[in-house]
Amino acid sequence: METHDHDHPDVHQKSAAEPAPRYYEIMETAVRELLVEKKLVGPGEIRRQIEVLDSRTPALGAKVVARAWVDPEFRARLLANGRTACESEFGISFYDDTKLIVLENTDKIHNLIVCTLCSCYPRPVLGLPPDWYKAKPYRARAVREPRAVLAEFGTDIPEDVEIRVSDSTAMVRYLVLPQRPVGTENFTEEQLAEIVTRDAMIGVVRVNLENRSTP
Amino acid sequence: MNSTENLVKRLPNDIGGLPADRIQQIDHELLPWEKRCHALADVLDFHKIINTEEKRRGVEQLGGEMVGKLTYYERWIVAFAFILFQKAILTPDELAQKMKEVESRYSRSTL
Repeated sequence: METHDHDHPDVHQKSAAEPAPRYYEIMETAVRELLVEKKLVGPGEIRRQIEVLDSRTPALGAKVVARAWVDPEFRARLLANGRTACESEFGISFYDDTKLIVLENTDKIHNLIVCTLCSCYPRPVLGLPPDWYKAKPYRARAVREPRAVLAEFGTDIPEDVEIRVSDSTAMVRYLVLPQRPVGTENFTEEQLAEIVTRDAMIGVVRVNLENRSTP
Repeated sequence: MNSTENLVKRLPNDIGGLPADRIQQIDHELLPWEKRCHALADVLDFHKIINTEEKRRGVEQLGGEMVGKLTYYERWIVAFAFILFQKAILTPDELAQKMKEVESRYSRSTL
């Protein structure tokens, strides 16, 4: 992606068809412009950060998961220090300076992540969270009745499997390493990455072969 | 229990474990200003002007009614404005003035 910001002092592109901005959008523009005028924020910084945000999608996390499935040594490094493994082996920068703890699902443990206080999420590897992750029902109930929450996502976890819910913070974020589905023994790493979904890395669903996107 | 006690024990953000509705699996593509607001949050954090925890607390300090009625990024930008006032980085007058100016640009361009 091109990183040009030298001749675009205003991030906002006006167009005739665009409706007049509402109160909060005007506030956003005003705060941003004041900070730039005071030289507390560089003129191109917001644009550059939007490009960073746009570059982060669940496809990144999916690549990490697929590598962990095919490479046991990488898996061990990922579980030991999620951030370092993603940074050094995938070049994923942790622009928000958070710690990443990767939680491995097994036959005995199913992990689920939430942020009860707000919307903390492993953004460097998954991008921005979906709206339901930030809304009250998920935040309130995931820690109290995770099985009922999972059932609403169509996920049935057997009673003898422990469900562990991890509550994210400003500094510590989690990523679920889902179980590799049976029937994928002959898949390449790329094929495996294609079946790993955002929701599986949050832990609300399992990875299954129906998730496979058609090429 | 005293009826006001819960207001103290449960600040607006502290909802983990409370009863709540069924999960609606909703999502939306961020509006351009919402994405700019998110990028602004990150940049404020990079420059150590407002970090993530200050932002969260700033939203909480908007109080229950605003937390309940404003949308996600509306809460963020209002919280940023209040925090920037508290830190004496911006003044309320300055922001009001700038908002008037921004608004007038749009009303001019639609004439």
